[in-house]
Amino acid sequence: MMLLATIRQFLIKVLSQSAPRESMNWLDEQVVKVTGAKGNMKLFLAFSQASRYFSKETLALDESDQATAREIRSGFQPSFWTTLQTARTILVLEAVSEKNDDWIPTLDKLFESADMHELEALYAALPLYPFPEKLKKRASEGLRTNITSVFDAIALNNPYPAEFLDEPAWNQLVLKAIFMQRPLYRITGADARANVNLAKTLVDYVHERWSAGRNVMPELWRFLSPFADMEILGMFEKVLKEGSKLEKEAVTLACFHSEHAGCKELLDRYPDYLAAIREGSLYWAAVGESYDLER
Amino acid sequence: MMYIDPHIHVTSRTTDDYEAMQKAGIVAVIEPAFWLGQPRTKVGSFQDYFSSLVGWERFRAKQFGIVHYCTIGLNSKEANNEALAEEVMELLPLYVGKEGVVAIGEIGYDDQTAAEDRFYRLQLELAKDVDLPVMIHTPHRDKKKGTVRSMDVSEEHGLDPKMVIVDHNNEETVREVLDRGYWAAFTIYPHTKMGSERMVDIVKQYGPERIIVDSAADWGISDPLAVPKTAALMKERGIPEEHIQLTCYGNALKAYGQSGQMEEKDWLEKEPIDQTKKHGGNTVLRGGQKPRVDNDSSNIIEN
Repeated sequence: MMLLATIRQFLIKVLSQSAPRESMNWLDEQVVKVTGAKGNMKLFLAFSQASRYFSKETLALDESDQATAREIRSGFQPSFWTTLQTARTILVLEAVSEKNDDWIPTLDKLFESADMHELEALYAALPLYPFPEKLKKRASEGLRTNITSVFDAIALNNPYPAEFLDEPAWNQLVLKAIFMQRPLYRITGADARANVNLAKTLVDYVHERWSAGRNVMPELWRFLSPFADMEILGMFEKVLKEGSKLEKEAVTLACFHSEHAGCKELLDRYPDYLAAIREGSLYWAAVGESYDLER
Repeated sequence: MMYIDPHIHVTSRTTDDYEAMQKAGIVAVIEPAFWLGQPRTKVGSFQDYFSSLVGWERFRAKQFGIVHYCTIGLNSKEANNEALAEEVMELLPLYVGKEGVVAIGEIGYDDQTAAEDRFYRLQLELAKDVDLPVMIHTPHRDKKKGTVRSMDVSEEHGLDPKMVIVDHNNEETVREVLDRGYWAAFTIYPHTKMGSERMVDIVKQYGPERIIVDSAADWGISDPLAVPKTAALMKERGIPEEHIQLTCYGNALKAYGQSGQMEEKDWLEKEPIDQTKKHGGNTVLRGGQKPRVDNDSSNIIEN
């Protein structure tokens, strides 16, 4: 298990590469105040007022910083973090402890009174807090938001959900990401958590969309691929016949990764995009990125 | 022309209003914390309200290309529930330092009771502590005395008039408010406050300096386009463009910009308002929604 002190040190190092010296001085002062203070008011004020000292520019990280981040915490991707949220996370990590969990009410209070950007910071740091299993309800609650950036802070580029959410909560995450048309390839650990219940719900969802004369996002087919049956094969075939180029590419990928014999047979009949998969230019992230560009 | 509506309770308005406001040229709004029609009985109701002002409502406004700011405070009406008011006072420090909070407000007097006076003074002290401007709500009843008293008490607590915006002025209060160095805001709200024609006459008489126009549109019969409509009327009636720009945009920016939380670049450097474009990698619309194409008279509602 990673040590809080190591994480804090790392965050301070990468933040000081991106933020002005005066801002870092302010943060140092606040850390002293927060750790020395009785009660939480110093923490709450510093947490909010960090927006006066740090910008929403993304952290500048080189390859070795990113590798260090992954070593400290597997799946941790601070290259998506802003300097402001990094400063806020450093402050919060001062208030938590590995020894006991009596800081959780303080964290709750921060969540309950947070603005939009503060929520983004608090949720994106879920994989860094000690006692992560105690924050499962908080994560599920956060996923109920309709604020896209807050949802993204939990669902995308964050290793916490795949590691800690139970199946119903995980399935809600994926379904809601599809409803909100979020880039699914950025959900950490998505393939490992694919499950038959999710696949069944998605089959119903596709039928519902098709009945309404709407289509579905191409990345969705990734989650049906391991559970292909006759019904799903029928859907694949319909898309291969009638879909847009991107939809056909996505279904070709889903078939390619499936074990079902029917999929191999389908690919024999619709081989158009197989070459692209074999030469490495067609993969799920590429489908997701193309879809994002199309919208 | 760009407009700011520096006093509007958009939480109570529909998305149609947001669309119309954006079309009319409103680029930014300030939503003062106020009462909700129904008196609150629990401190949690205040907390969730303050959270929505810095959270959900800000997101909602952004979807329509409007930058949303707010003021945080305990309104004068609900200050009369003293036990609850004390709890709300403990909550305020959690919110006043947040991004986009441009003033303590709207505070002041309603019935001008002892309890209102007590919490008004406490919040003036809070504003001094955190170096934020103050938005004063002047009372509907006994307005002139209430307005003078609001300024007297503010000065007793040592606030600089340039940090204080006195709102809901009329012909009877404006002279003294301006003479004493305060910002004088006018609320264009049918029947109870000002009509736009009276507003035009005031700008003709007093000029544009430190005068601010707002709508205070809320859940009552009110008009979220009051600022652009009044600006158009000013133009029709021969008020110079520069004076319109100051009273319907520039003065509000300068007054509330003193918070350090509101700058022109917040809306100028934003991407063009095209709902099909993305904001910072996110689409501005909620998942699955398509951008609205146009209002027409067809009965077909898009799928």
